[in-house]
Amino acid sequence: MGIMKAKESIDNLQELYLLSFQGLLGLVRKPFYLKDTIEQMDYAGAGSFFIVLLVSLFIGMALSLQLSAELSPLGLKMYIGRVVGVSIIREIGPVLTAVVFAGRVGSGIASELGSMILGHQVDTLRVFGVDPIKKLVTPRIVSSIVMLPVLTVIGDAVSLFGGYLIAVFVGHQSGAVYWSSIREVFNFENVLSGFVKPFVFGYLIACISCYTGLSTRGGAIGLRRTTTRAVVVSFITIVAADFILTRILLYVLGFSV
Amino acid sequence: MIVFDKVRFSYGTRQVLRDASFSINADERVAILGGSGDGKTTILKLILGLLRPDSGKIIIDGEDITNKTEDALREIRRRFSIVFQEGALFDSLNVRENVAFWLREYTGMSEEEIDQRVRELLEMVGVEGAIELMPEELSGGMHRRVAIARSMAAYEPKMFLYDEPTAGIDPVNAVTICKLIIDLSKNGKGFIIVTHKVFDAMKVADRFMFLKSGAMIFDGDKDQLIHSPIPEIRIFVSELGSV
Repeated sequence: MGIMKAKESIDNLQELYLLSFQGLLGLVRKPFYLKDTIEQMDYAGAGSFFIVLLVSLFIGMALSLQLSAELSPLGLKMYIGRVVGVSIIREIGPVLTAVVFAGRVGSGIASELGSMILGHQVDTLRVFGVDPIKKLVTPRIVSSIVMLPVLTVIGDAVSLFGGYLIAVFVGHQSGAVYWSSIREVFNFENVLSGFVKPFVFGYLIACISCYTGLSTRGGAIGLRRTTTRAVVVSFITIVAADFILTRILLYVLGFSV
Repeated sequence: MIVFDKVRFSYGTRQVLRDASFSINADERVAILGGSGDGKTTILKLILGLLRPDSGKIIIDGEDITNKTEDALREIRRRFSIVFQEGALFDSLNVRENVAFWLREYTGMSEEEIDQRVRELLEMVGVEGAIELMPEELSGGMHRRVAIARSMAAYEPKMFLYDEPTAGIDPVNAVTICKLIIDLSKNGKGFIIVTHKVFDAMKVADRFMFLKSGAMIFDGDKDQLIHSPIPEIRIFVSELGSV
């Protein structure tokens, strides 16, 4: 039983790799589904805008509040901006936006493709001679790779603004000091570190969600399982990939650990 | 011609087809009967190469399609027109776009030509008034009729495949669908209809097959079906007595 389970997991992983590769290959092989890609971008980007805005604002505020509570008694509240900036730009912003994106867009992709499988719509595409990977997977990969970094930049900006509100109105710090600290951490290394991650996360979320969606079996219960699996696997993959990317980026950018 | 030679197929550990062997000519009007989960839809998917058998051979017009690539299968699939269970219309497209899907994808027709062709097809199946509706706004019967129109827009098939075309719809719509199936086969084109509704199958088909737990246990004409001593078939045929 254990061996069968392990074999099944390896098979699934192989199929996921294959789908990820074929999905990318769709970018260089005709036909290109531009309209589908734009629709997906609208769903993934514009549709996620307000939720990313809200979550980022509150996270920035909460982080600033925690730091105010810790640093003020030590007389170090001038560092709030610096710590908030580094945390948000390098780590919390990309991961948080990716998690929100996986919860909203990833689950949407998985359930949409899953219901297309159960309703024989994917079979219909194949009968019509349309490659479902090019038609369904590639536009979703492209939209995720493009829109997640955009959302991350917006989320980072809003989080920093949330941090500013707390630092100034609760921590009674000077706004100029806060923004000047942010400017100090806004260097090439930090920005690159925070900007590489969303591309990788977007690609992973899209591939995992498409794969789980297209492997749906077994009616409504199967669809529930698919959606849950897409979100859970995406979350775990995001945090694991974040750790690996952080290690690589710290090494490449010359930070000593 | 479709030939199944000792075809076996399973979903994971569940065996769906067991050594299924039969042949069907392109001009035959065949109904494959059987209960839910007995492998009826699987047969249609195997014919189209959407599934690959575990063992055995599937031969279409003399070509063994068992190990053909997806690209090679595309050419085979063009010989058939399939209407899946519940229509399988694309949720995100309205009726016009669903029927126009293949025309837009593969032909160089102008928008006016596509629109005209879509209207012709919808008129043929009697749902021209639903052209702007979304699939969720259609009744079960309209769903199937739009799906039939869409399948005819694609290409000139040699044979039609219908997966439970009258399941879950009212008797009036079922009669309309059956009439449509007969009309489409009038120019010598055959069809395979898989269904568990023996009453509808009797209206359209000349040859009947019966699947039980993945094995073909009956192959004959209407009279042979009605008088079959096989208990499972007796249960199915008893539906006729209640009509």
